[in-house]
Amino acid sequence: MFFHIVLERNMQLHPRHFGRNLRENLVSKLMKDVEGTCSGRHGFVVAITGIENVGKGLIRDGTGFVTFPVKYQCVVFRPFKGEILEAAVTMVNKMGFFAETGPVQIFVSNHLIPDDMEFQSGDMPNYTTSDGSVKIQKDSEVRLKIIGTRVDATEIFCIGTIKDDFLGVINDPTTA
Amino acid sequence: MSEKGGRMFSLPTKTTPKSSLKSTAAKSKRGRKVQFGTEGSPDVNFSSPKSDGKFATPFGKGGKGEKAANGGKTHVAKESLSLELRVEQELPENIKCLMDCEAATILEGIQDQMVILSSDPTIKLPESFGSGLQYAKTGSYFTNPQSVRKVLQSLTKYGVSNSEICVIANTCPETVDEVFALVRSLEAKRSKITGPLKDVLDELAKLKTST
Repeated sequence: MFFHIVLERNMQLHPRHFGRNLRENLVSKLMKDVEGTCSGRHGFVVAITGIENVGKGLIRDGTGFVTFPVKYQCVVFRPFKGEILEAAVTMVNKMGFFAETGPVQIFVSNHLIPDDMEFQSGDMPNYTTSDGSVKIQKDSEVRLKIIGTRVDATEIFCIGTIKDDFLGVINDPTTA
Repeated sequence: MSEKGGRMFSLPTKTTPKSSLKSTAAKSKRGRKVQFGTEGSPDVNFSSPKSDGKFATPFGKGGKGEKAANGGKTHVAKESLSLELRVEQELPENIKCLMDCEAATILEGIQDQMVILSSDPTIKLPESFGSGLQYAKTGSYFTNPQSVRKVLQSLTKYGVSNSEICVIANTCPETVDEVFALVRSLEAKRSKITGPLKDVLDELAKLKTST
């Protein structure tokens, strides 16, 4: 889910950036440092939407660097347990399938796929119902529920399920 | 903490591997109070904010397949009860939940600005921006976030939280049963909100863009 959040960060700036464009330099350094990163608490920082406040700079002892506390608003994307998401399938194997929503990877284990869907191997591995009416393969869109999340240094990884009511394939690419 | 979280697929308890399958469910309650907090008190879930980074799954007992096969069905039934959206409890209060259509509007605005700023080669948008924007655009069914927000705001007086409203907007359910199936935390207020929810869904259906 997307969130709009105010975060704070201490930015260190080298004296060569001081001058008329101090604030612009600070903001562009913030964008380079923060956009695209991921944390366990807030998820992916997708974009910075504005700077709320830049505090007074403190010169660090022993070096010429100055630390500015910066408060900024940003859009973050963080998956939550219990959340319903629509994801595009990227890979299917006999253990389950991988799907993607935005910057987040989700794995759905075959234990969490309805029992009437069987794995079919081949050029285009897929999960199909016994009557062939529903198929999950690469590029299918599925609606799933997040049941667990794990945060790495640079990405968030989730476990999902489609074994609940109103979950499963939304869009079959072969019939589109 | 995130590095630790990155390696930690296994669950805190190590005593269960030798335990018999018969008492799996009972032992799992004792060994993993943090996950199954909704069985009794919701407090247990937020008493450990660190567990956000840890991997919480019904089957992850060190990956013991046979346990999953036998204890799996009961675990899934119990877990589906505990998988209620707890956004407001887990995040600080100043965070605003965004619907996908709102996020798409904001991100598109930023992307337009980037066209102007692109003369500076050092500023470029991260990869997660592109995938986030694409997801927000394809996932959202509505073109006018303000009217959607206005329609759904009427549910707040019945105690529906902002995150639940966002899930309803993002999934665009067609029936009231679908809403209660997808957002289990609303089950408790079923009798109160069924009527207003039906009206809201009708309004949303009118606002939905035809594809």
